[in-house]
Amino acid sequence: MDALHIGSHTFNSRLILGTGKFSSTDVMLRAVRASKAELVTVALRRFNREQLEDDLFGPLSQLEGITLMPNTSGASTAAEAVKAAHISRELSGSPFIKVEIHPNPQHLMPDPIETFEAAKILASEGFLVMPYISADPVLAKRLEEVGCASVMPLGAAIGSGRGLSTAGMLEIIIRESAIPVIVDAGLRAPSEAARAMEMGCSAVLVNSAIAAAENPEEMAAAFRDGTSAGRRAYRAGLMTESGDAVPTSPLTSFLGERR
Amino acid sequence: MKEVPAWLVDEGSTAEMRRMLSSDSPVDIETLAARARAITLRRFGRTISLYAPLYLSNHCPSGCAYCGFASDRTTLRRRLEEDEIRREIAAMKKLGIRDILLLTGERTAVAGFDYLRRAVEIAAEEMPRVSVETFPMSVEEYRELARCGCTGVTIYQETYDRGRYEELHRWGPKKDFLHRLETPERALEGGIKTVGIGALLGLSEPVEEALRLYRHARHLAKTWWRAGISASFPRMRPEQGGWQPPFNVSDHQLARMILAFRIGLPDMDLALSTRERASFRDGMAGLGVTRMSIASKTTVGGYDEGETGERGQFDISDERSAGEFCQALRNRGIEPVFKNWDGAYNGPATQIIPTGGLKETIP
Repeated sequence: MDALHIGSHTFNSRLILGTGKFSSTDVMLRAVRASKAELVTVALRRFNREQLEDDLFGPLSQLEGITLMPNTSGASTAAEAVKAAHISRELSGSPFIKVEIHPNPQHLMPDPIETFEAAKILASEGFLVMPYISADPVLAKRLEEVGCASVMPLGAAIGSGRGLSTAGMLEIIIRESAIPVIVDAGLRAPSEAARAMEMGCSAVLVNSAIAAAENPEEMAAAFRDGTSAGRRAYRAGLMTESGDAVPTSPLTSFLGERR
Repeated sequence: MKEVPAWLVDEGSTAEMRRMLSSDSPVDIETLAARARAITLRRFGRTISLYAPLYLSNHCPSGCAYCGFASDRTTLRRRLEEDEIRREIAAMKKLGIRDILLLTGERTAVAGFDYLRRAVEIAAEEMPRVSVETFPMSVEEYRELARCGCTGVTIYQETYDRGRYEELHRWGPKKDFLHRLETPERALEGGIKTVGIGALLGLSEPVEEALRLYRHARHLAKTWWRAGISASFPRMRPEQGGWQPPFNVSDHQLARMILAFRIGLPDMDLALSTRERASFRDGMAGLGVTRMSIASKTTVGGYDEGETGERGQFDISDERSAGEFCQALRNRGIEPVFKNWDGAYNGPATQIIPTGGLKETIP
């Protein structure tokens, strides 16, 4: 069984879903089911226990076989993210926390310094910390050193649909990392999820590409298949790329054995 | 007289924006709408965040020619006391509102800083997100409001045309054009996290006004990189003074403006209030707008007391209930979001004062 292990948790699916952009709770739930995701992230800012029809946490927590990973979207400093993590754990009971710290609410790029500080504190408190980061190989290792459960480098800016524009850096992170590497943000098409998995990512996280699709449920299923196909290809061992043609029959067999 | 800042008249990089805004533009509005819709969908998804205004006081010493609260209007003046503020907030919460905008007139002895700070404290006990649309304040006052749980400041320049501004603001503290123009930056320096800016459309030539608003938004985003910036597009509405605006901004012009802003500023929150009629708001949902006010009352005490016969600051146009409005959004495949913030993120932001950000003027 090719399972994804994060901390002591095991997941059969390598597709993680974001939940913040759907046209309704019902559409979101159908997409989650179709994706076969087992780990789903939800922002503390969208927890609304006073008004259940506006609440994302409640309906998601009712789903069978789903582990919730609260996220700190909205935090602009380590202190705010730590506070949000504590509140999220109280409300959800989940040990997972996706640390998202973006001081610039326009482009939503993660702050590496504040993210590192928050991750260090939360990991020491026993959270399973999943930090959202730029595709920075050194930062990824630093986060691993302080006890993060995974790293979540971006493929491209949130909501940009620009795919794996950070592929070169992702390759280094994947090669160097001893913890799961999960590509988060920027993916637009299932083929990009497949490519991320072929590169050796442990999982991918998708939100906009599914929520903004004409048929989110169908797109969620397509991402499920793309993620799964990419993973199978990675495990099967992709043929190496080469700039030269390599004939299937040797061209120099007439020379006989080298002496 | 102190010069206007250079960024306000900087024509650099605005040619494309001008082309999109112009009513005789070769770019047809349908093309703009398709581009704006795609950007909105990609970046913000199928959601609209909702907020509602709470008028705390209509006391005002200013003489803005276009406003129902101007000191020469005969409207009954009042302010909400603490128990009334609590009752209004309770009534708003029943409607589902979790993002509240507190409003007053210009600063007076009756409704000044201490009164506003207390109102912010009361609102922040109940609402995850509290913003203010009031009088300009000092950096220190904004810092104090941020400490009390205020995350946003909305302040419209009304018109960026300095000549028109002088003419329309007949007397009172609002007369100082530059002091008002610098207000968003004082708020950000004081640790307020988001600022909302806008021009009251109809007061001066709309394309030039929109371009100046665009420059202001761009200037703030570049200078204060941690700030959340939002732009609004309020059109003049009838008010009890009966003042008629010199420019009529048509639906087409307003739509073009919102679409151009979405294309030019793809990540920025754009707001549309109940000044606009229901069909226009419904039509623009998903085409660029990301924040909308809901079930607004523009009278002091309007939520708890209902209709009192008093007219508000201006007449609203979309009078649908919260439920009707939300259903209309859902019918268009858009999720109305009441809570899209959390009190965990309240408190003063870390803002580094930019070098020369406030000082740059035309040589």
